[in-house]
Amino acid sequence: MIYVLYFITYGFLLTVAIGLLTSWIDRKVTARVQYRVGPPILQPLIDIIKLLGKETLIPKGASKSTFLMAPVVGFASAILVSTILWVNNITSAHTYLGDLVVVIYLLTIPSISIIMGGFASRNPLASLGASREMKLILSYELPFVLAVLVPVIKSGFSLRLATILGYQLQNGAVATGLSGVLALIVAIFCIQAKLGLVPFDIPEAETEIVSGPLVEYSGPGLALYKLMKNMLLFILPFFLIIIFMGGLHFDAISIVKYVGLVALVTVIRNTNPRVRIDQAVRFFWGPMTFLAALAVALALTGR
Amino acid sequence: MLNPAYFRFDSLSSFVGLFAVIFTVVICLYSVSFMRQKRGQLRYYLYILLTLITSLGVVFANNLVLFILCWGFLGLLLYLLIGFGEKDRTSATAKKAFIIIGGTDAFMLLGIAFIWKLSGTLQMDKINIALNSRPAVWAYLCLACGAFAKAGAMPLHTWIPDTAEDAPSPVTAYLPASLDKLLGIYFLARLSLNMFAMDAAMNTFLMAIGSFTIVAAVMMALVQHDLKRLLGYHAVSQVGYMVLGIGTGNPIGIAGGLFHMLNHAIYKSCLFLSGGSVEKKAQTTELDKLGGFAKIMPITFVTFLIASFAISGVPPFNGFASKWMIYQGVIDLGKKGGYLWVVWLVAALFGSALTLASFMKLVHAVFLGQQSKESRFTVHDVREESPLMWIPQVFLAGLCILFGVFAYRLPLKMFILPSLNENVVFSGIWNANIATALILVGIIIGILIYLWGKASDTKEAEIFMGGEIFKDHPDMRLSGTEFYNTISDIGILKWIYDLAKRKLFDPYEVGSRITFGFNSILRYLHNGVLPTYLAWCLLGMGVLFYILLK
Repeated sequence: MIYVLYFITYGFLLTVAIGLLTSWIDRKVTARVQYRVGPPILQPLIDIIKLLGKETLIPKGASKSTFLMAPVVGFASAILVSTILWVNNITSAHTYLGDLVVVIYLLTIPSISIIMGGFASRNPLASLGASREMKLILSYELPFVLAVLVPVIKSGFSLRLATILGYQLQNGAVATGLSGVLALIVAIFCIQAKLGLVPFDIPEAETEIVSGPLVEYSGPGLALYKLMKNMLLFILPFFLIIIFMGGLHFDAISIVKYVGLVALVTVIRNTNPRVRIDQAVRFFWGPMTFLAALAVALALTGR
Repeated sequence: MLNPAYFRFDSLSSFVGLFAVIFTVVICLYSVSFMRQKRGQLRYYLYILLTLITSLGVVFANNLVLFILCWGFLGLLLYLLIGFGEKDRTSATAKKAFIIIGGTDAFMLLGIAFIWKLSGTLQMDKINIALNSRPAVWAYLCLACGAFAKAGAMPLHTWIPDTAEDAPSPVTAYLPASLDKLLGIYFLARLSLNMFAMDAAMNTFLMAIGSFTIVAAVMMALVQHDLKRLLGYHAVSQVGYMVLGIGTGNPIGIAGGLFHMLNHAIYKSCLFLSGGSVEKKAQTTELDKLGGFAKIMPITFVTFLIASFAISGVPPFNGFASKWMIYQGVIDLGKKGGYLWVVWLVAALFGSALTLASFMKLVHAVFLGQQSKESRFTVHDVREESPLMWIPQVFLAGLCILFGVFAYRLPLKMFILPSLNENVVFSGIWNANIATALILVGIIIGILIYLWGKASDTKEAEIFMGGEIFKDHPDMRLSGTEFYNTISDIGILKWIYDLAKRKLFDPYEVGSRITFGFNSILRYLHNGVLPTYLAWCLLGMGVLFYILLK
């Protein structure tokens, strides 16, 4: 039962709150970069509530249950990842839920849900966007896995997040070493792609394939996807902070770590043009994989 | 009769035998409907039963001669069962499978001869050979080669995709997808755990083969255009995980490899059976001609989806549990030092993402997306096939969930761990029961949000395509077969794909080309002129006389 409590309070409510707040930071920074004023702080929440009040349009001939369930499953798995991360971050007593591999696998489920939803909507544009999403997963998964191996090696070949955190508590954050810094850089690019932000917003590409997999979604379905994406906007930086920067605590340094990471992601998103999908694949399989492999080699030699 | 010198009933062989029986029952049930209106049904069921009996012989044999006898029969039965396919290529495919399996059987005989020379006994539980001499290494390699060909590890895998495409679906689900995997990996486990004392070099060799198989086969699967052939390449790729797991040489990795063998047999036969139902409905397996079957066959769609998530290792299904154990086995290797384990681990993790990609393509091309023109013409009966076909599928899909969520309580505790005599220590954490319960809670939260909003207030609408009216262009659709062309067009990959298309990586094709090359020279001598033949005979006799009377 304790897990259900964690699940609802930390995994759901807290994550949604921070996610919406982060989304506001993102939008505000974007607005400032573009010399606009930007939205008020409650705007992300208002958007979601507005969407919930709209009617649901289902494309003709689509597989109705798949179309409606895809956002729910993605949303549920986002809460689960968040719960695992929170539990490992705040208490070492109840960590018997999942380890690093589980987190990596669960983090792909939101993307799978977007793909399934896009496929189920029977729209060629959605199919195109969903196939790009899948190719993007393929491209970033290789360097991401390598980058994530660095903390594993550093902490003495442990897959448990609690052990990785414990190691960093004693020996300083992983990102203080050379290998850690390299791996963190790679991982930041990977979460940029995982979040589907510019320059890797190829699956959605509003100006080209009218937001791809989400083109047929409206009302509550879209609201759940937005909510899921906002939660991921918190979960992914949080994951990097846990494995590279020694976790979040309720103090000023943690806030600086978190806001700094989010601001970095936002700045990358605002200063780059969108790349093509084959360019993204080349970028991740070429330089990023090389960098990540270098980081792993350095970590293995103890640097 | 059941003399312990000839038969052995321990936990490992009993559990493999048990599942051989279960799969036979499932496949027979499915075949009742699938093979209806086909010729030679009596022979078909006879062969299936004979296959069961001989595979039980393989599993429980404790004597290598008895073992190789049953093993050889299995190859013959495979040949006969593939023959039930109805394509033009079927006989060539059956021949290919028979030659590859039969050829490796010859190697196995050689290996058995080596073992006789080394240990003087053929009783499997009395053999314990250290890999320190050259004959011992050769013996192991010869025998492992047979296991690889049976299970389909690279480079002896090439019969599997062909068989998958040309044989009837239940046959593929029965032999290459489930029984041959169980037997091949069972024999590899027996070899590596009981009969030989593995050393680091041989383990590295196994892991290299495993990792290579995972990535290479799944890359081939990405670009296939045929439903069953694509599934066939996955049947190859998953063997890589099992070989990798056994190659790690530590208890958790080996347990993971054996668990993966069981899981693979379950979800892959479920995939082939679901694919077979689609084939029966659509009369084709070409992905370009399918599409939109989720509406026509909802049950098959769900079973296929569950099995594809299981094979892609999505938690909490069973494929994830076993892959996760294999990863731990590989990471445990890292503690001993060395760099190669990173390569194995990354190959395995990345292979899993590639698997997911090719299954997303399949799910789109077969079940979701727009219906193709062809299938709109051929499929009139928009109903599920008979219950005899979907009940086996549902049963197998149910096992996928059950073995994933209750991985510790059911399969690991009952079958896998007792068959290893060692203590398996989990270094990672995966609490499938609680995680599944939490996902369900999350789904309930999501549905509540739906209900709080206006999700009940639904309306159907035409799809939006930038102003084009879909009704006027019903063929404006993506089949999904070209999804990964961007990847196969990248630099060096394009070159490798081109070579693979010319079948340069297929030992059977290369071998037959070399043989036919020789033949084309020798053919000039066969010109049908009697005096020439007589001249050759005289010449040969002359040489013989010279040698004998010298």
